[in-house]
Amino acid sequence: MPEINIENLTHTFGKGQPNELTVLDNINLTFESGSFNAIVGTSGCGKSTLLKMMAGLFTPSDGSMKLDDKVIQGTDRRRGMVFQQDAVFPWMTVAKNISYGPRLRGASAAQQREIEAKWTQAVGLKGFEDRWPRELSGGMRKRVDIGRVYANDPDVLLMDEPFGALDAQTKERMQSDLLDTWSQSRKTVVFVTHDLEEAIFLADKIVVMSARPGRVHHIETVSLPRPRTDAMRLTDEFIQIKRRLWEMLDH
Amino acid sequence: MKKMSAFNTRRVVLGCLSVSAVIAIYALVTSRAGNNPALLPPIGDIITSFWTNLTSGSLLTALGASLFRISAGFLIGTTLALVLGCLIGWYRNIEFLFDPLIEAVRPIPPLAYIPLIIIWFGIGEFSRVLIITIACFMVCVVNVIAGMKNVPAVYEDAASTMGATRFQVFRTVAVPAATPFIITGYRVALAAAWTTLVASELLAAQNGLGFLLQEGRRYFLTDQVMMIIMIIGACAFIMDRIFRRIQAHLMQWSETRE
Repeated sequence: MPEINIENLTHTFGKGQPNELTVLDNINLTFESGSFNAIVGTSGCGKSTLLKMMAGLFTPSDGSMKLDDKVIQGTDRRRGMVFQQDAVFPWMTVAKNISYGPRLRGASAAQQREIEAKWTQAVGLKGFEDRWPRELSGGMRKRVDIGRVYANDPDVLLMDEPFGALDAQTKERMQSDLLDTWSQSRKTVVFVTHDLEEAIFLADKIVVMSARPGRVHHIETVSLPRPRTDAMRLTDEFIQIKRRLWEMLDH
Repeated sequence: MKKMSAFNTRRVVLGCLSVSAVIAIYALVTSRAGNNPALLPPIGDIITSFWTNLTSGSLLTALGASLFRISAGFLIGTTLALVLGCLIGWYRNIEFLFDPLIEAVRPIPPLAYIPLIIIWFGIGEFSRVLIITIACFMVCVVNVIAGMKNVPAVYEDAASTMGATRFQVFRTVAVPAATPFIITGYRVALAAAWTTLVASELLAAQNGLGFLLQEGRRYFLTDQVMMIIMIIGACAFIMDRIFRRIQAHLMQWSETRE
Protein backbone atom coordinates (compact mmCIF):
# COMPACT_ATOMS: atom_id res chain seq x y z
CA MET A 1 0.00 0.00 0.00
CA PRO A 2 1.20 3.52 -0.78
CA GLU A 3 2.93 5.51 1.88
CA ILE A 4 4.41 8.97 1.43
CA ASN A 5 7.68 9.96 3.08
CA ILE A 6 9.04 13.47 3.05
CA GLU A 7 12.60 13.78 4.35
CA ASN A 8 14.52 16.99 5.06
CA LEU A 9 12.69 18.79 2.34
CA THR A 10 13.62 22.41 1.76
CA HIS A 11 12.52 24.48 -1.16
CA THR A 12 14.00 27.78 -2.20
CA PHE A 13 12.72 29.77 -5.16
CA GLY A 14 15.52 31.39 -7.16
CA LYS A 15 18.17 29.52 -5.24
CA GLY A 16 21.61 31.16 -5.35
CA GLN A 17 20.20 34.48 -6.50
CA PRO A 18 20.17 37.60 -4.31
CA ASN A 19 16.38 37.54 -4.02
CA GLU A 20 16.10 33.86 -3.17
CA LEU A 21 13.08 32.90 -1.11
CA THR A 22 12.82 29.83 1.09
CA VAL A 23 9.20 28.72 1.14
CA LEU A 24 9.61 25.32 2.78
CA ASP A 25 12.17 24.65 5.49
CA ASN A 26 13.28 21.19 6.56
CA ILE A 27 9.98 19.35 6.29
CA ASN A 28 9.81 15.80 7.61
CA LEU A 29 6.48 14.03 7.28
CA THR A 30 5.01 10.61 6.82
CA PHE A 31 1.55 9.96 5.46
CA GLU A 32 0.57 6.40 6.18
CA SER A 33 -1.17 4.30 3.61
CA GLY A 34 -4.93 4.52 3.64
CA SER A 35 -4.95 7.49 6.00
CA PHE A 36 -6.72 10.79 5.58
CA ASN A 37 -4.33 13.66 6.24
CA ALA A 38 -4.88 17.39 6.30
CA ILE A 39 -2.36 20.19 6.06
CA VAL A 40 -3.47 23.51 7.52
CA GLY A 41 -1.74 26.84 7.75
CA THR A 42 -2.24 30.48 6.92
CA SER A 43 -1.60 31.59 3.38
CA GLY A 44 2.07 31.78 2.53
CA CYS A 45 3.04 28.73 4.56
CA GLY A 46 3.83 26.76 1.41
CA LYS A 47 1.18 24.11 1.88
CA SER A 48 0.03 24.25 -1.73
CA THR A 49 3.61 24.15 -2.96
CA LEU A 50 4.21 21.07 -0.85
CA LEU A 51 1.15 19.38 -2.31
CA LYS A 52 2.11 20.24 -5.88
CA MET A 53 5.51 18.69 -5.19
CA MET A 54 3.83 15.49 -4.11
CA ALA A 55 1.93 15.57 -7.40
CA GLY A 56 5.23 15.98 -9.24
CA LEU A 57 4.39 19.39 -10.67
CA PHE A 58 7.39 20.89 -8.85
CA THR A 59 10.78 19.54 -7.87
CA PRO A 60 12.07 20.44 -4.39
CA SER A 61 15.47 22.12 -4.31
CA ASP A 62 16.70 19.95 -1.40
CA GLY A 63 15.63 16.79 0.34
CA SER A 64 13.46 14.01 -0.91
CA MET A 65 9.91 12.97 -1.30
CA LYS A 66 9.09 9.31 -1.74
CA LEU A 67 6.05 7.24 -2.49
CA ASP A 68 6.60 3.63 -1.39
CA ASP A 69 10.34 4.27 -1.14
CA LYS A 70 10.49 5.50 -4.72
CA VAL A 71 11.54 9.08 -5.26
CA ILE A 72 8.70 11.17 -6.69
CA GLN A 73 9.71 12.56 -10.03
CA GLY A 74 7.29 14.14 -12.47
CA THR A 75 3.59 13.54 -12.64
CA ASP A 76 2.12 10.08 -12.52
CA ARG A 77 -1.41 8.73 -12.53
CA ARG A 78 -0.68 7.07 -9.18
CA ARG A 79 -0.82 10.53 -7.59
CA GLY A 80 -4.10 12.15 -8.55
CA MET A 81 -4.86 15.75 -7.75
CA VAL A 82 -7.96 17.87 -7.23
CA PHE A 83 -7.26 21.56 -7.66
CA GLN A 84 -8.53 24.66 -5.98
CA GLN A 85 -9.54 26.11 -9.34
CA ASP A 86 -12.15 24.61 -11.58
CA ALA A 87 -10.23 22.05 -13.62
CA VAL A 88 -13.17 20.36 -15.34
CA PHE A 89 -12.59 20.41 -19.09
CA PRO A 90 -15.39 22.63 -20.44
CA TRP A 91 -15.22 21.07 -23.91
CA MET A 92 -16.13 17.61 -22.63
CA THR A 93 -19.46 16.46 -21.25
CA VAL A 94 -19.64 15.29 -17.64
CA ALA A 95 -19.28 11.66 -18.72
CA LYS A 96 -16.31 12.35 -20.98
CA ASN A 97 -14.59 14.25 -18.19
CA ILE A 98 -15.08 11.29 -15.85
CA SER A 99 -13.61 8.77 -18.28
CA TYR A 100 -10.75 11.04 -19.39
CA GLY A 101 -7.98 9.15 -17.56
CA PRO A 102 -8.97 5.66 -18.69
CA ARG A 103 -9.41 6.98 -22.24
CA LEU A 104 -5.80 8.21 -22.20
CA ARG A 105 -4.75 4.65 -21.66
CA GLY A 106 -6.91 3.33 -24.46
CA ALA A 107 -9.93 2.03 -22.55
CA SER A 108 -12.52 0.52 -24.89
CA ALA A 109 -15.86 2.26 -25.43
CA ALA A 110 -17.56 -0.34 -23.25
CA GLN A 111 -15.05 0.11 -20.42
CA GLN A 112 -15.46 3.87 -20.63
CA ARG A 113 -19.22 3.61 -20.35
CA GLU A 114 -18.90 1.33 -17.35
CA ILE A 115 -16.55 3.76 -15.60
CA GLU A 116 -18.73 6.74 -16.49
CA ALA A 117 -21.81 5.02 -15.07
CA LYS A 118 -20.04 3.96 -11.90
CA TRP A 119 -18.46 7.29 -11.04
CA THR A 120 -21.22 9.67 -12.08
CA GLN A 121 -23.38 7.62 -9.73
CA ALA A 122 -20.76 7.61 -6.96
CA VAL A 123 -20.31 11.39 -6.92
CA GLY A 124 -24.04 12.07 -7.21
CA LEU A 125 -24.21 13.20 -10.82
CA LYS A 126 -26.43 10.50 -12.24
CA GLY A 127 -28.64 12.00 -14.93
CA PHE A 128 -26.10 14.71 -15.75
CA GLU A 129 -23.84 12.52 -17.90
CA ASP A 130 -24.44 14.38 -21.14
CA ARG A 131 -24.43 17.90 -19.73
CA TRP A 132 -21.75 20.44 -20.49
CA PRO A 133 -19.83 21.71 -17.45
CA ARG A 134 -21.15 25.24 -18.09
CA GLU A 135 -24.61 23.93 -17.24
CA LEU A 136 -23.52 22.83 -13.76
CA SER A 137 -23.13 24.71 -10.49
CA GLY A 138 -19.74 25.18 -8.84
CA GLY A 139 -20.41 22.34 -6.40
CA MET A 140 -21.42 19.97 -9.18
CA ARG A 141 -18.33 20.81 -11.19
CA LYS A 142 -16.24 19.96 -8.13
CA ARG A 143 -18.03 16.62 -8.04
CA VAL A 144 -16.99 16.05 -11.64
CA ASP A 145 -13.41 16.89 -10.67
CA ILE A 146 -13.45 14.39 -7.81
CA GLY A 147 -15.19 11.71 -9.84
CA ARG A 148 -12.68 12.13 -12.63
CA VAL A 149 -9.73 11.66 -10.30
CA TYR A 150 -11.36 8.64 -8.64
CA ALA A 151 -12.23 7.09 -12.00
CA ASN A 152 -8.54 7.30 -12.85
CA ASP A 153 -7.88 5.06 -9.83
CA PRO A 154 -4.78 6.68 -8.29
CA ASP A 155 -3.11 5.34 -5.14
CA VAL A 156 -2.85 8.75 -3.55
CA LEU A 157 -5.33 11.60 -3.66
CA LEU A 158 -3.93 15.11 -3.32
CA MET A 159 -6.52 17.81 -2.73
CA ASP A 160 -5.67 21.49 -2.79
CA GLU A 161 -8.47 23.41 -1.04
CA PRO A 162 -10.97 21.76 -3.35
CA PHE A 163 -14.01 23.22 -1.59
CA GLY A 164 -12.54 26.67 -1.01
CA ALA A 165 -14.84 28.39 -3.47
CA LEU A 166 -18.08 26.76 -2.33
CA ASP A 167 -20.75 28.13 0.00
CA ALA A 168 -20.90 26.77 3.55
CA GLN A 169 -23.81 24.36 3.06
CA THR A 170 -22.48 22.90 -0.18
CA LYS A 171 -19.09 22.58 1.44
CA GLU A 172 -20.34 20.50 4.38
CA ARG A 173 -22.31 18.28 2.06
CA MET A 174 -19.26 17.78 -0.15
CA GLN A 175 -17.13 16.91 2.88
CA SER A 176 -19.53 14.17 4.00
CA ASP A 177 -19.81 12.81 0.48
CA LEU A 178 -16.03 12.82 0.10
CA LEU A 179 -15.69 10.77 3.28
CA ASP A 180 -18.30 8.31 1.97
CA THR A 181 -16.38 7.83 -1.23
CA TRP A 182 -13.07 7.61 0.59
CA SER A 183 -14.32 5.01 3.10
CA GLN A 184 -15.16 2.67 0.23
CA SER A 185 -11.63 2.53 -1.16
CA ARG A 186 -9.35 3.97 1.55
CA LYS A 187 -6.88 5.71 -0.64
CA THR A 188 -4.17 7.77 1.02
CA VAL A 189 -5.42 11.35 1.02
CA VAL A 190 -3.51 14.57 1.62
CA PHE A 191 -5.95 17.45 1.88
CA VAL A 192 -4.72 21.04 2.02
CA THR A 193 -7.04 23.64 3.53
CA HIS A 194 -7.07 26.76 5.66
CA ASP A 195 -10.42 25.77 7.16
CA LEU A 196 -9.75 24.12 10.55
CA GLU A 197 -13.22 22.66 10.87
CA GLU A 198 -12.89 21.03 7.49
CA ALA A 199 -9.54 19.53 8.49
CA ILE A 200 -10.83 18.16 11.81
CA PHE A 201 -13.97 16.74 10.24
CA LEU A 202 -12.10 14.94 7.49
CA ALA A 203 -8.69 13.90 8.73
CA ASP A 204 -6.97 11.37 10.98
CA LYS A 205 -3.91 13.53 11.15
CA ILE A 206 -3.57 17.28 10.82
CA VAL A 207 -0.25 18.91 10.01
CA VAL A 208 -0.15 22.52 11.18
CA MET A 209 2.32 24.63 9.29
CA SER A 210 3.78 28.00 10.19
CA ALA A 211 4.60 30.60 7.58
CA ARG A 212 7.67 32.28 6.09
CA PRO A 213 9.41 29.95 5.76
CA GLY A 214 6.93 27.07 5.85
CA ARG A 215 7.72 24.72 8.70
CA VAL A 216 5.90 21.88 10.42
CA HIS A 217 4.66 23.50 13.60
CA HIS A 218 2.57 20.73 15.09
CA ILE A 219 0.99 17.40 14.24
CA GLU A 220 -2.46 16.73 15.65
CA THR A 221 -3.99 13.28 15.73
CA VAL A 222 -7.76 13.34 15.47
CA SER A 223 -9.33 10.38 17.21
CA LEU A 224 -12.95 11.16 16.43
CA PRO A 225 -14.59 7.86 15.48
CA ARG A 226 -15.50 6.98 11.92
CA PRO A 227 -17.86 7.23 10.17
CA ARG A 228 -17.92 10.92 10.96
CA THR A 229 -21.27 12.66 11.19
CA ASP A 230 -22.20 16.31 11.01
CA ALA A 231 -23.31 16.15 14.67
CA MET A 232 -19.67 15.62 15.66
CA ARG A 233 -18.86 19.14 14.55
CA LEU A 234 -20.55 20.35 17.74
CA THR A 235 -19.00 17.92 20.24
CA ASP A 236 -16.60 19.12 22.95
CA GLU A 237 -13.76 17.10 21.54
CA PHE A 238 -14.16 18.65 18.13
CA ILE A 239 -14.34 22.16 19.51
CA GLN A 240 -11.35 21.62 21.79
CA ILE A 241 -9.22 20.52 18.87
CA LYS A 242 -10.41 23.49 16.90
CA ARG A 243 -9.54 25.93 19.71
CA ARG A 244 -6.10 24.38 20.18
CA LEU A 245 -5.28 24.57 16.48
CA TRP A 246 -6.74 28.03 16.14
CA GLU A 247 -4.43 29.37 18.85
CA MET A 248 -1.47 27.84 17.07
CA LEU A 249 -2.36 29.43 13.77
CA ASP A 250 -2.76 32.84 15.27
CA HIS A 251 0.91 33.41 15.95
CA MET B 1 -37.74 28.08 -28.34
CA LYS B 2 -40.48 30.62 -28.98
CA LYS B 3 -38.49 33.32 -27.24
CA MET B 4 -35.48 32.46 -29.35
CA SER B 5 -37.38 32.85 -32.63
CA ALA B 6 -38.84 36.22 -31.54
CA PHE B 7 -35.29 37.30 -30.82
CA ASN B 8 -34.19 36.15 -34.27
CA THR B 9 -37.08 37.89 -35.97
CA ARG B 10 -36.14 41.13 -34.27
CA ARG B 11 -32.54 40.67 -35.34
CA VAL B 12 -33.46 40.02 -38.98
CA VAL B 13 -35.97 42.89 -39.13
CA LEU B 14 -33.58 45.43 -37.63
CA GLY B 15 -30.73 44.16 -39.81
CA CYS B 16 -32.85 44.56 -42.96
CA LEU B 17 -33.92 48.01 -41.82
CA SER B 18 -30.43 49.49 -42.04
CA VAL B 19 -29.73 47.82 -45.40
CA SER B 20 -33.00 49.04 -46.93
CA ALA B 21 -32.44 52.53 -45.54
CA VAL B 22 -29.14 52.75 -47.40
CA ILE B 23 -30.78 51.49 -50.61
CA ALA B 24 -33.67 53.96 -50.21
CA ILE B 25 -31.36 56.92 -49.70
CA TYR B 26 -29.30 55.83 -52.71
CA ALA B 27 -32.47 55.52 -54.84
CA LEU B 28 -33.58 58.97 -53.71
CA VAL B 29 -30.26 60.59 -54.50
CA THR B 30 -29.93 58.98 -57.95
CA SER B 31 -33.51 59.83 -58.97
CA ARG B 32 -32.97 63.53 -58.38
CA ALA B 33 -32.73 65.75 -61.45
CA GLY B 34 -29.16 66.55 -62.41
CA ASN B 35 -27.74 63.25 -61.15
CA ASN B 36 -24.87 62.02 -63.28
CA PRO B 37 -25.53 58.30 -63.90
CA ALA B 38 -21.91 57.75 -64.89
CA LEU B 39 -20.94 58.49 -61.28
CA LEU B 40 -24.03 57.28 -59.45
CA PRO B 41 -25.91 54.81 -61.65
CA PRO B 42 -29.57 54.36 -60.71
CA ILE B 43 -30.59 51.07 -59.11
CA GLY B 44 -32.36 50.01 -62.31
CA ASP B 45 -29.04 50.23 -64.21
CA ILE B 46 -27.27 48.15 -61.59
CA ILE B 47 -29.94 45.46 -61.82
CA THR B 48 -29.75 45.52 -65.62
CA SER B 49 -25.98 45.13 -65.44
CA PHE B 50 -26.46 42.18 -63.08
CA TRP B 51 -28.92 40.57 -65.49
CA THR B 52 -26.75 41.14 -68.57
CA ASN B 53 -23.67 39.72 -66.91
CA LEU B 54 -25.63 36.81 -65.49
CA THR B 55 -27.21 35.79 -68.80
CA SER B 56 -23.99 36.22 -70.76
CA GLY B 57 -22.32 33.87 -68.29
CA SER B 58 -19.50 36.25 -67.51
CA LEU B 59 -20.66 36.78 -63.93
CA LEU B 60 -20.79 33.09 -63.11
CA THR B 61 -17.41 32.47 -64.72
CA ALA B 62 -15.92 35.29 -62.68
CA LEU B 63 -17.60 34.10 -59.51
CA GLY B 64 -16.37 30.55 -60.08
CA ALA B 65 -12.80 31.69 -60.68
CA SER B 66 -12.80 33.91 -57.60
CA LEU B 67 -14.39 31.33 -55.31
CA PHE B 68 -11.83 28.78 -56.42
CA ARG B 69 -8.96 31.15 -55.56
CA ILE B 70 -10.48 32.06 -52.22
CA SER B 71 -11.13 28.44 -51.26
CA ALA B 72 -7.69 27.24 -52.31
CA GLY B 73 -5.83 30.09 -50.60
CA PHE B 74 -7.98 29.94 -47.49
CA LEU B 75 -7.74 26.18 -47.05
CA ILE B 76 -4.00 25.98 -47.64
CA GLY B 77 -3.22 29.09 -45.58
CA THR B 78 -5.35 28.20 -42.57
CA THR B 79 -4.26 24.56 -42.55
CA LEU B 80 -0.61 25.58 -42.49
CA ALA B 81 -1.43 28.16 -39.81
CA LEU B 82 -3.24 25.59 -37.69
CA VAL B 83 -0.45 23.03 -37.81
CA LEU B 84 2.42 25.45 -37.41
CA GLY B 85 0.59 27.68 -34.92
CA CYS B 86 -0.21 24.74 -32.65
CA LEU B 87 3.40 23.58 -32.70
CA ILE B 88 4.81 27.07 -32.15
CA GLY B 89 2.36 27.81 -29.37
CA TRP B 90 3.02 24.56 -27.57
CA TYR B 91 6.64 23.52 -28.04
CA ARG B 92 9.08 26.02 -26.62
CA ASN B 93 11.93 25.19 -28.99
CA ILE B 94 9.75 25.50 -32.06
CA GLU B 95 8.55 28.84 -30.72
CA PHE B 96 12.12 30.06 -30.27
CA LEU B 97 12.87 28.93 -33.80
CA PHE B 98 9.95 30.59 -35.58
CA ASP B 99 8.79 33.40 -33.36
CA PRO B 100 11.31 36.07 -34.48
CA LEU B 101 10.59 35.21 -38.08
CA ILE B 102 6.84 35.53 -37.69
CA GLU B 103 7.14 38.72 -35.66
CA ALA B 104 9.37 40.25 -38.31
CA VAL B 105 7.13 39.29 -41.19
CA ARG B 106 3.78 39.96 -39.51
CA PRO B 107 3.61 43.76 -39.95
CA ILE B 108 4.21 43.50 -43.71
CA PRO B 109 0.87 43.75 -45.51
CA PRO B 110 0.42 40.68 -47.74
CA LEU B 111 -0.19 42.94 -50.74
CA ALA B 112 3.41 44.14 -50.46
CA TYR B 113 4.49 40.72 -51.70
CA ILE B 114 2.64 41.12 -54.97
CA PRO B 115 5.54 42.64 -56.96
CA LEU B 116 7.92 39.99 -55.70
CA ILE B 117 5.50 37.18 -56.41
CA ILE B 118 4.95 38.50 -59.94
CA ILE B 119 8.71 38.63 -60.50
CA TRP B 120 9.20 35.11 -59.20
CA PHE B 121 6.11 33.28 -60.36
CA GLY B 122 4.58 35.48 -63.04
CA ILE B 123 0.94 36.57 -63.13
CA GLY B 124 -0.66 33.15 -63.30
CA GLU B 125 -3.19 31.40 -61.15
CA PHE B 126 -0.49 30.13 -58.79
CA SER B 127 0.60 33.65 -57.89
CA ARG B 128 -2.93 34.76 -57.08
CA VAL B 129 -3.59 31.76 -54.84
CA LEU B 130 -0.20 32.27 -53.22
CA ILE B 131 -1.01 35.85 -52.19
CA ILE B 132 -4.29 34.75 -50.62
CA THR B 133 -2.53 31.85 -48.91
CA ILE B 134 0.07 34.17 -47.37
CA ALA B 135 -2.60 36.60 -46.18
CA CYS B 136 -4.72 33.85 -44.61
CA PHE B 137 -1.72 32.19 -43.01
CA MET B 138 -0.37 35.35 -41.41
CA VAL B 139 -3.58 36.50 -39.73
CA CYS B 140 -4.59 32.99 -38.72
CA VAL B 141 -1.29 31.79 -37.28
CA VAL B 142 -1.11 34.68 -34.82
CA ASN B 143 -4.48 33.72 -33.37
CA VAL B 144 -3.65 30.03 -33.18
CA ILE B 145 -0.43 30.79 -31.30
CA ALA B 146 -2.28 33.11 -28.91
CA GLY B 147 -4.84 30.37 -28.31
CA MET B 148 -2.21 27.78 -27.45
CA LYS B 149 -0.50 30.21 -25.11
CA ASN B 150 -3.71 30.99 -23.28
CA VAL B 151 -4.50 27.41 -22.28
CA PRO B 152 -5.17 27.60 -18.51
CA ALA B 153 -2.33 25.95 -16.61
CA VAL B 154 -4.75 24.10 -14.35
CA TYR B 155 -6.07 22.09 -17.32
CA GLU B 156 -2.55 21.01 -18.20
CA ASP B 157 -1.80 20.12 -14.58
CA ALA B 158 -5.04 18.19 -14.24
CA ALA B 159 -4.29 16.16 -17.37
CA SER B 160 -0.69 15.43 -16.47
CA THR B 161 -1.54 14.37 -12.91
CA MET B 162 -3.94 11.90 -14.50
CA GLY B 163 -1.03 10.42 -16.37
CA ALA B 164 -1.23 12.23 -19.71
CA THR B 165 2.02 12.45 -21.63
CA ARG B 166 3.13 15.83 -22.93
CA PHE B 167 1.80 14.92 -26.36
CA GLN B 168 -1.51 13.73 -24.92
CA VAL B 169 -1.88 17.04 -23.08
CA PHE B 170 -1.25 18.80 -26.38
CA ARG B 171 -3.80 16.74 -28.26
CA THR B 172 -6.55 16.33 -25.67
CA VAL B 173 -6.26 19.59 -23.74
CA ALA B 174 -4.33 22.36 -25.48
CA VAL B 175 -5.92 22.11 -28.92
CA PRO B 176 -9.54 21.93 -27.71
CA ALA B 177 -8.92 24.66 -25.14
CA ALA B 178 -7.58 26.85 -27.93
CA THR B 179 -10.55 26.37 -30.29
CA PRO B 180 -12.15 29.75 -29.56
CA PHE B 181 -8.97 31.48 -30.68
CA ILE B 182 -8.50 29.12 -33.60
CA ILE B 183 -12.01 29.83 -34.86
CA THR B 184 -11.40 33.57 -34.58
CA GLY B 185 -8.25 33.03 -36.62
CA TYR B 186 -10.26 31.29 -39.33
CA ARG B 187 -12.78 34.10 -39.44
CA VAL B 188 -10.25 36.88 -39.80
CA ALA B 189 -8.50 34.73 -42.41
CA LEU B 190 -11.71 34.59 -44.41
CA ALA B 191 -11.97 38.38 -44.36
CA ALA B 192 -8.30 38.64 -45.35
CA ALA B 193 -8.91 36.20 -48.20
CA TRP B 194 -11.54 38.49 -49.75
CA THR B 195 -9.38 41.57 -49.36
CA THR B 196 -6.39 40.02 -51.07
CA LEU B 197 -8.48 38.25 -53.69
CA VAL B 198 -9.81 41.47 -55.13
CA ALA B 199 -6.40 43.13 -54.91
CA SER B 200 -4.68 40.26 -56.70
CA GLU B 201 -7.33 40.22 -59.41
CA LEU B 202 -7.19 43.96 -59.90
CA LEU B 203 -3.57 43.59 -60.86
CA ALA B 204 -3.23 40.61 -63.01
CA ALA B 205 -6.24 38.55 -63.86
CA GLN B 206 -8.10 37.69 -67.05
CA ASN B 207 -11.20 36.68 -65.09
CA GLY B 208 -12.69 36.85 -61.64
CA LEU B 209 -14.68 39.45 -59.73
CA GLY B 210 -11.69 41.79 -59.39
CA PHE B 211 -11.22 41.62 -63.15
CA LEU B 212 -14.85 42.62 -63.75
CA LEU B 213 -14.33 45.55 -61.37
CA GLN B 214 -11.28 46.63 -63.33
CA GLU B 215 -13.11 46.19 -66.61
CA GLY B 216 -15.99 48.32 -65.29
CA ARG B 217 -13.61 51.10 -64.39
CA ARG B 218 -11.81 50.96 -67.72
CA TYR B 219 -15.01 51.22 -69.82
CA PHE B 220 -16.73 53.55 -67.35
CA LEU B 221 -19.40 50.96 -66.50
CA THR B 222 -20.07 52.30 -63.02
CA ASP B 223 -23.20 50.17 -62.77
CA GLN B 224 -21.04 47.07 -63.27
CA VAL B 225 -18.60 48.24 -60.60
CA MET B 226 -21.44 48.79 -58.15
CA MET B 227 -22.96 45.44 -58.99
CA ILE B 228 -19.70 43.55 -58.40
CA ILE B 229 -19.13 45.32 -55.09
CA MET B 230 -22.54 44.12 -53.96
CA ILE B 231 -21.86 40.59 -55.15
CA ILE B 232 -18.63 40.52 -53.15
CA GLY B 233 -20.43 41.85 -50.09
CA ALA B 234 -23.13 39.23 -50.45
CA CYS B 235 -20.65 36.37 -50.91
CA ALA B 236 -18.55 37.42 -47.93
CA PHE B 237 -21.70 37.77 -45.86
CA ILE B 238 -22.97 34.30 -46.77
CA MET B 239 -19.59 32.71 -46.06
CA ASP B 240 -19.39 34.41 -42.70
CA ARG B 241 -22.86 33.16 -41.83
CA ILE B 242 -21.89 29.61 -42.74
CA PHE B 243 -18.82 30.04 -40.62
CA ARG B 244 -20.83 31.20 -37.64
CA ARG B 245 -22.96 28.08 -37.94
CA ILE B 246 -19.86 25.91 -37.81
CA GLN B 247 -18.56 27.97 -34.90
CA ALA B 248 -21.79 27.60 -32.94
CA HIS B 249 -21.61 23.86 -33.49
CA LEU B 250 -17.96 23.52 -32.45
CA MET B 251 -18.41 25.84 -29.49
CA GLN B 252 -21.51 24.23 -27.98
CA TRP B 253 -19.54 23.78 -24.78
CA SER B 254 -18.52 27.40 -24.44
CA GLU B 255 -20.34 29.93 -22.30
CA THR B 256 -19.63 32.71 -24.75
CA ARG B 257 -20.79 31.05 -27.98
CA GLU B 258 -22.77 33.23 -30.33
